[in-house]
Amino acid sequence: MSLLKISHLNKTYPNGTKALIDVSLELSNGMFGLLGPNGAGKSSLMRTLATLQEADSGSAFLDDIDILNSPKEVRRILGYLPQEFGVYPKISASQLLDHIATLKGINNRSERKELVNYLLQKVNLYNERNKSVKGFSGGMKQRVGIAQALIGSPKLIIVDEPTAGLDPGERNRFHNLLAEVGEEVIVILSTHIVDDVRELCTQMAIMNAGEIVYSGTPGNALMALEGKVWRKSIERSEKEDYQNKFSVISDKMVAGRPQIHVLSEVDPGEGFESVAPNLEDVFFTKTHARATEG
Amino acid sequence: MIYIFMFILGLLVFGAVVSDNIVIGGVVGDVKKNAPTVVATFVCILNIFGLLFATAFFNNAALRDHNYGFHEILFSTPISKAGYYFGRFFGALLLSTLTMIGIYIGFIVGSAVGPMLNWIGPERIGPTPWMAFIKSQLIFVLPNMFFAGTLIFALATKFKSSVVSFVGTLFIIIGYMVSLNLASDIENQTLAAMLDVFGVRTYFLDTQYFTPFERNTISPSFSGLVLKNRLLWLFIGLIILVLSYFTFSFSTKKSKVKKRKKVASSSSAISFSKPKLTAIGETDSFWSNFTSFFKINFLSIIKSNVYIILLVFAIILLITNLWGGFEHFGLQSYPVTYKVMDVISGISTLFVLIILVFFSGELVWRDRDSHINEVIDGTPHLSIASLFAKTISLIIIACLMHLLLIFIGVIYQALNGYTNFELGVYLKDFISGGFVRYIIWSTFLIFIQVIINQKYLAYFVSILFMFMLDFLFIILKVESNMLMLGSTPSSIYSDMNGFGPTVQGQFWFSLYWVLFGFVLLIIAGLFWSRGTNTSIKDRFLVGKKSLGKSYFAMLGFFGIAWIILAGFTFYNTQILNTYETSYESELFQVDYEKKFKKYENAVFPSITDIVYNIDIFPKERGLKVKCNLSLINKSDQVIDSLHFTINKDLNQTVLIPNSEQVFNANDDYLIYKLNNPLMPGEKFEMVSTAEYFSKGFENRVSQMFILKNGTFFNNFTILPGFGYQSNYEIADKNKRIKYELPARDRMPELQSTCNHLCMKNYLSDGSSDWVNVETFISTSADQIAIAPGSLISEVVENGRNKYHYKVDHPSQNFFSFISADYEIASKKWNDIDIEVYYDKAHEVNIDIMLEAIQKSLKYYTENFGPYYHKQARIIEFPRYRTFAQAFPGTMPYAESFGFITNLEDTTKNNVIDAVIAHEIAHQYWAHQVVGADMQGSTMLSESFAQYSSLMVMKQDNGPVKMKDFLKYDLRRYLRGRSSESEKELPLYLVENQAHIHYGKGAVVLYALQEYIGEDRVNTALRNFLDAYKYQEPPYPTSNDFMKYLKPQVPDSLQYLIKDWFEEITLYDLRVKEAKYTQTDNGKYEVNVELIAKKTKADSAGAVKEVSIADWVDIGFYKDRDEKELFFTQRIYLDNENSTMQFTLDTIPAKAAIDPLRILIDRVYDDNRKLVSKSE
Repeated sequence: MSLLKISHLNKTYPNGTKALIDVSLELSNGMFGLLGPNGAGKSSLMRTLATLQEADSGSAFLDDIDILNSPKEVRRILGYLPQEFGVYPKISASQLLDHIATLKGINNRSERKELVNYLLQKVNLYNERNKSVKGFSGGMKQRVGIAQALIGSPKLIIVDEPTAGLDPGERNRFHNLLAEVGEEVIVILSTHIVDDVRELCTQMAIMNAGEIVYSGTPGNALMALEGKVWRKSIERSEKEDYQNKFSVISDKMVAGRPQIHVLSEVDPGEGFESVAPNLEDVFFTKTHARATEG
Repeated sequence: MIYIFMFILGLLVFGAVVSDNIVIGGVVGDVKKNAPTVVATFVCILNIFGLLFATAFFNNAALRDHNYGFHEILFSTPISKAGYYFGRFFGALLLSTLTMIGIYIGFIVGSAVGPMLNWIGPERIGPTPWMAFIKSQLIFVLPNMFFAGTLIFALATKFKSSVVSFVGTLFIIIGYMVSLNLASDIENQTLAAMLDVFGVRTYFLDTQYFTPFERNTISPSFSGLVLKNRLLWLFIGLIILVLSYFTFSFSTKKSKVKKRKKVASSSSAISFSKPKLTAIGETDSFWSNFTSFFKINFLSIIKSNVYIILLVFAIILLITNLWGGFEHFGLQSYPVTYKVMDVISGISTLFVLIILVFFSGELVWRDRDSHINEVIDGTPHLSIASLFAKTISLIIIACLMHLLLIFIGVIYQALNGYTNFELGVYLKDFISGGFVRYIIWSTFLIFIQVIINQKYLAYFVSILFMFMLDFLFIILKVESNMLMLGSTPSSIYSDMNGFGPTVQGQFWFSLYWVLFGFVLLIIAGLFWSRGTNTSIKDRFLVGKKSLGKSYFAMLGFFGIAWIILAGFTFYNTQILNTYETSYESELFQVDYEKKFKKYENAVFPSITDIVYNIDIFPKERGLKVKCNLSLINKSDQVIDSLHFTINKDLNQTVLIPNSEQVFNANDDYLIYKLNNPLMPGEKFEMVSTAEYFSKGFENRVSQMFILKNGTFFNNFTILPGFGYQSNYEIADKNKRIKYELPARDRMPELQSTCNHLCMKNYLSDGSSDWVNVETFISTSADQIAIAPGSLISEVVENGRNKYHYKVDHPSQNFFSFISADYEIASKKWNDIDIEVYYDKAHEVNIDIMLEAIQKSLKYYTENFGPYYHKQARIIEFPRYRTFAQAFPGTMPYAESFGFITNLEDTTKNNVIDAVIAHEIAHQYWAHQVVGADMQGSTMLSESFAQYSSLMVMKQDNGPVKMKDFLKYDLRRYLRGRSSESEKELPLYLVENQAHIHYGKGAVVLYALQEYIGEDRVNTALRNFLDAYKYQEPPYPTSNDFMKYLKPQVPDSLQYLIKDWFEEITLYDLRVKEAKYTQTDNGKYEVNVELIAKKTKADSAGAVKEVSIADWVDIGFYKDRDEKELFFTQRIYLDNENSTMQFTLDTIPAKAAIDPLRILIDRVYDDNRKLVSKSE
């Protein structure tokens, strides 16, 4: 059982953007969802944990490994799938995995070969192993990505926005793979897709503008909103009125008409109906709250 | 972007205008810095660079909408195809041409600022050449950009790929280079000029014979070859544009759908279980990381299109370069290794630089460009393994290209039947000239990319460094190889002396730079971008954290090793050996002239006898000299002091009995006062010594004449200078102004009656007349040492070969001393020993050489008089210097100058005959009779030697073949006068100007014997020789020769003496039309319309037309190839336009005016015309 403890991480980019503001989190084995809108600082946090970026202050420990100061030791037990996973041109899938396996320190050639074959089979790419990865579809590429992240029995797996751009089938397959490995090790899944977290994670945090605005289980998050979320279909022209009058947490199109969710301790009347809160509501509540307060 | 390009061009031109250090095309002597031809030349050359900008514009114009994905929107609007297509094209064309305006701005600003800040004299700026600006833009820029634009635009719209567009550009440039190669052969010049895409060659061909005056006044124009060339390429461009327009369509290019192979489903049966892994990352796995990185990076470059394209272009360029062979006066040299090697290293340097700059960025940015950097950086590999792997990949791809080119070079040699494959020589040259430099450049370029961490900015800096650094060093007057990035002393390979004395210095400097490269690379490791940190501080922190002790140990080790080596190199090149930068030498020259010019007229006694004692130590590169001189005061003054100019590098000393040193300026200039002044006619003896032994290694090898094999120097090198040496003075007119020196004394003017100026000859400058010389010369046991004269004795003593030579007849004090490991070929002819001393690798032409010496001696003894030496020797020396020279009975001859020329085709001109005959002729012209030190003197030696050698050749060759040879002399004259730096003088007033005394002298004297007969010219020469040979002063002048020549010229042709010798005369002869009709008696009547103009040029090259009243030859060829001249007639022309009638027996193919090309006519193409049947 491993424990990842992040305390008071701060990072400000040279252009003044505050990417991380006093971020503290604690997580252990299992899937951990990190939810947040684009630009919330998820990738900055991921990169810091993946030893790719220096933090200005704070600390992060994986058991007794000091992530910020002993990058090499972290890298030995790290599997990382970045947001943008590109590949070299003119290199086949098994060549690529073999290269990364070497870099991860698997020096025995036959072991490496066996491992690469195993992983390729696991991600269902064994038959394409000698084809150029550059020509793979987005989903196949992403599977290569997960395969490389699994090389070398990592204890900490970080996947940054892995399902963006995948079709539902690919996405399901991907989730199954993750769930399989997530039982044994810490998996951090960063995403802005609420469903990903709902389907996979036991623990979660929501980030916005560099800060952690919620952390806990998805269940607790939902419970806190129980009975406070109301829904109504409206006309497009009425949108502004409602936004002024109510605390609107989301609006989206349903069957061609805008449907809004509002947050209210009591029944707002005016035709609103109560709905069971979902993670999306949690997400919007947390992130909007920040935005309006700020 | 356009302003940046304009600025760069403007800056370049500005630099060239205000400084003499930045050179774009030559500006010499009286040609103004902003002369119209200079403007046109700059435009031509910079236009080639401009093409790169143009590519960007045209490519961008064609692809912009496509790249931004805007095309689908745009093409669905009702915009017309023509409007869109041509709008974009002409927009880009306008931008491309506007860029070049930077050049004109550079000219205008430079011309204004340069004189204002006193960087250059105001006399070097002419009026602003507005016409030249406009015309250059219209004649060169517009058509060039148009043509290039059509091709690039067509490729871009067709292939939608920037790479393909740039390949198109590269293709144009390669095409241009191919035409350059063609142009190196005088026969192909017109063809090459037409094929030149840019019209550069064409313009150069049109203006090659321009005089400075014409260069300053004539703007380029749409005429002649330039017009034809421009029309040709405009037309081709138009065709491309139209074709590309019609194949262009708004519909989007279909993405290629690759067929995916059906995957065999059976393979799913295989199943792998997760392997148990042993020891992950327990050990630092540098090597396995390194090999994996290397494989991935190296493979990707080898397979990349850019590399393959560059490789193919390099090969094409090499093949076209080799295709023409090694032309040498219309003959081919054997493809010996060093010739092929020189071509290869030129090409490989260019391409490797491109490859290194481009791929250094590609490699350093590879992970990031492929968006895989975060994954790679998250693995526990060592950054330095990646850095090293990339650097080594870069070095290896450079080496691969070089080695491939060598391979092709060797195949070329084999195909030409040259089988002496010196792979070792190739390899050594590759290592010293390629490999080492590639290491240095690669590490340096990678360092730049890593430190700057912005790909394109780093590219820019790299290009600046690789191509502009030289300029910077020139401006800073730095010449130390320790400061000039990657520079080592350059070596020249000679078959005789191998890589020569440079090797040692090259080795240490290479080591110094390679270590420097390592240090840079290791430092780069500290700043290597790992993760997504961009600031240099973050990268440094990360680097420090991840690099262990062994890294800093390595940095320390290489750093210290480099510093130690730097110390060692500094000691050798700055303390043990010193050198003068060219700036320092200039200052020395200025100082020397300012201080000692006042002693110029100090009288010196004349040498009568010399005994040279010379010991040569080839292995040590050492030399010991002691000369015993006997002198006599030939003047009518009492000499009380002696002046000497000392060469300190050779440790020269003088020993003057009964005297004291009264003046010593820094050991450079000494004055001795004689205790007993020397009375007129009194004799006197003195000793001079010199000694040199090489020590350690030098920044650049000095005393290149002392060699392990092939030492060669003359007496002026070892003797101290007697008195003030005016040849130390700076000759360049503009530099003299810069250093505030008065205009240099010209050669003394030709005197009509002889006075004291005739008392010294131009070779010895008064230090001696006819001298008795003996030489005792020794060398190592494996070499032969040679000095002029008969060999008196030869002994082996203390393991050294010792020789004693004595000259059989008093001679000019102009002596060569040579030592090398020689083979000797000899034959006897009329009691004269004919000998050739040669390197064992160069035996192929030896018999021809012996034969040539004999032929020459025979002709000269029959026509001019006796030969006074008992031997005639040709001696080979290494190709560090390229010439042949005549000493008494002894003629050193450079190895590259005939020993390797292919003479198998006997129908071609025999250049060896020519050179040997010329040098043997000097045994008469210069060594028997020599001119007084004044204008016209070199006509008496060089022109006569040139004429004599032509006569020797003419015995074996008909006049038509002689024309083939004479054209080189004519070209030499016309080219020379176009870059005349002082002012042009008539032949009989020549002031030691090579293009006049060799080039014009040969043409004029040859023409003269065609007009008055060989016998009459020879008679004049013989009578002149008889009157003056081996005579004590006064020496003869060209006026004296004219007295012997004039009686030989019939009255009707006396005008030739004035036109050809005493004035500068050019002809413009043309056949306007030639038509024939068959007559009743089976003969053919040919009507030829002629144009004949004669012009006289003044000293600046301005011409004025004079009326013609000349005898000119008209000839008819049987064939179009002008091989068989079957009829010639000399006719008198006294009208600019005339029509002549000839009756011939057969139909002529061509009519020609001056068919032998013996009159000086700048354009010869219009002298011939096909004869057509009259209607």
